[in-house]
Amino acid sequence: MTTPNEANEVVVPAQAGTTAPPASSTAAASSSQAEVDPAGIRALIFIRDRGIFVLWALLIIAFSVWANPFFGTVDNAILVANAAALTAIFAAGVAVGIICGALDLSIPGVAALSACTCGWLLVNGHPVWLGLLAGMVVGVVVGLVNGAISLRGFSPIVVTIGTLSITTAAASIVAGGYTIPGLTDLKFMGTERYFGVPAPVWIAAAVFIVGTMFLTRTRDGIRLMSVGGNPEAVRRSGIHSDRYKVLGFVISASCAALGGLITTAVVTEASPAASPGIIFTALTAVALAGVSLAGGRGSLPRVLVGALILATISNGLTIKGIDPYWGTGVTGVLLLLSISLEKWISTTVSKRLVATAQASVHTGTR
Amino acid sequence: MTVTDVAPALELRSIDMHYGFVRALDSIDFQVVQGEVVGLLGDNGAGKSTLLKVMSGAHRPTSGDILVHGTETVFHAPSSATHAGIQMVYQDLALVDAQDIATNLNIGREILRKGPLGWLGFVDHKAQRKRSEAELDRLGVRTAAMTRPVEMLSGGQRQVVALARSATRVTGDRNGVLLLDEPTAALGYEQTQQVQALIRRMADQGIAIVLVTHNLPLSMNVCDRIVVLNRGRKVADVRTSETDNDQLVGWITGARPSMFS
Repeated sequence: MTTPNEANEVVVPAQAGTTAPPASSTAAASSSQAEVDPAGIRALIFIRDRGIFVLWALLIIAFSVWANPFFGTVDNAILVANAAALTAIFAAGVAVGIICGALDLSIPGVAALSACTCGWLLVNGHPVWLGLLAGMVVGVVVGLVNGAISLRGFSPIVVTIGTLSITTAAASIVAGGYTIPGLTDLKFMGTERYFGVPAPVWIAAAVFIVGTMFLTRTRDGIRLMSVGGNPEAVRRSGIHSDRYKVLGFVISASCAALGGLITTAVVTEASPAASPGIIFTALTAVALAGVSLAGGRGSLPRVLVGALILATISNGLTIKGIDPYWGTGVTGVLLLLSISLEKWISTTVSKRLVATAQASVHTGTR
Repeated sequence: MTVTDVAPALELRSIDMHYGFVRALDSIDFQVVQGEVVGLLGDNGAGKSTLLKVMSGAHRPTSGDILVHGTETVFHAPSSATHAGIQMVYQDLALVDAQDIATNLNIGREILRKGPLGWLGFVDHKAQRKRSEAELDRLGVRTAAMTRPVEMLSGGQRQVVALARSATRVTGDRNGVLLLDEPTAALGYEQTQQVQALIRRMADQGIAIVLVTHNLPLSMNVCDRIVVLNRGRKVADVRTSETDNDQLVGWITGARPSMFS
């Protein structure tokens, strides 16, 4: 890019005590110009941050043409959304966990335990609200336990593998080893449609709106993301970073519990068998969304689109009568391509920024 | 009490620090007043880091008193030093890479929105950006856009943000003390100049600054006063204008006799 060097240089304008608005002095005016990054860099950052939306749009267009006229209909869109909703809720939990540095593998177990707890309460004549509440409480409690153990210095992965086994066993114990059938009371959050849209889609939408607002707009959300990025920096700011780590586990497990309850509502039975497939599908969506496993970065809207892309591919291929394993393969290829692209963009951007930032530095070190 | 009319921002009186039989610090007197930059020089093992750790509350001295703004204080932990207005700026810049400059400057003292959204913990990004811009302008450093993630900054820009972050935390109703440990260690020439200018400007704001470094030109350029340690003893405490490179090297290596013996 041939942009002025000054755009990224440290500007040393104002005198001490200047509190005038930026536009009032020439020096400050040049610094407000410095707020804008070069166009090329902005384009690259746009692709990195919003590329997954473009990818999804392209997929939709491609399938609309290829699988015309069955793919591009409102009914099919609702089908895709419904198929994506569950994956998306689990993916939200996994994503929040990873963002704050707490990869939670106990999600399938928590989902099964919360489903079975709710199911057991319902078949024993307890009201629906109590069942749902108990299911969610299970999630919160497991999250607290995961967090409390991890804070003692154990790897979150190992800890959550342990709680995965425990919760799976507990689910079987609660359910007596068999599936609890006939839970039609939960239909209102399963197959019921509101304004033509199935309940899980509404719930997923709510989870993502609240989650996104939380992570990007609220104090605790921003701190949670920062803890994932650099816990030491947050601790030195006088914040108890441990609490936010535990909060990450709690949110993660709560999403798992919610997902388990919705699964139960959709199939009207609570199964004690934890399916590890849940976590890998969710992880695929999360990775597709560019959430770094190192923690500290990621965005929930992209995770949602990640889940939608998985559902779109599987739906489109099914309409064309192509075997589903092709869909799995295509997803894998897309995933690898997307991380390669992100890597390339990140290095290019930082190279260019450093080049412009040091344009006036004669030494050119580092 | 001291005879000066204004008490030093930070004063150490006959600080001893023993590790077993090793005397890491031997009855060190040290003070820094508001708006002053004091360089702390010495060879490896001279006790610079230990003294800095005593000041930042990481270590408790074996004996001796610490006075903050004339009041005797005991630091039980780094957090109590932070509370007293003494901030350590670490070599390994404690910034959150994935977050932008404004967030990094504001973490731990966020501005919440007014009204019901604020009760829910919603942050006022705009006000935070504005405050950070004002703070950086006052220090005379405008780096990149406030919304730029720290990971996209150059080494010098990061150091500037890290310094500014600490500076904004010690300038409350009473100016505090900044402890800098090799602030220019990883920087190129031009960036070092920027950081030097920033340190001077922070001092002009009334912040007391203690600068630990191996870099003699840097200390000659920015410090008002230089204290040299040698094997745990203070061997020199001079105004920068009254000394030169050769003298300092002499004190650091021990070739020149102590000012105090």
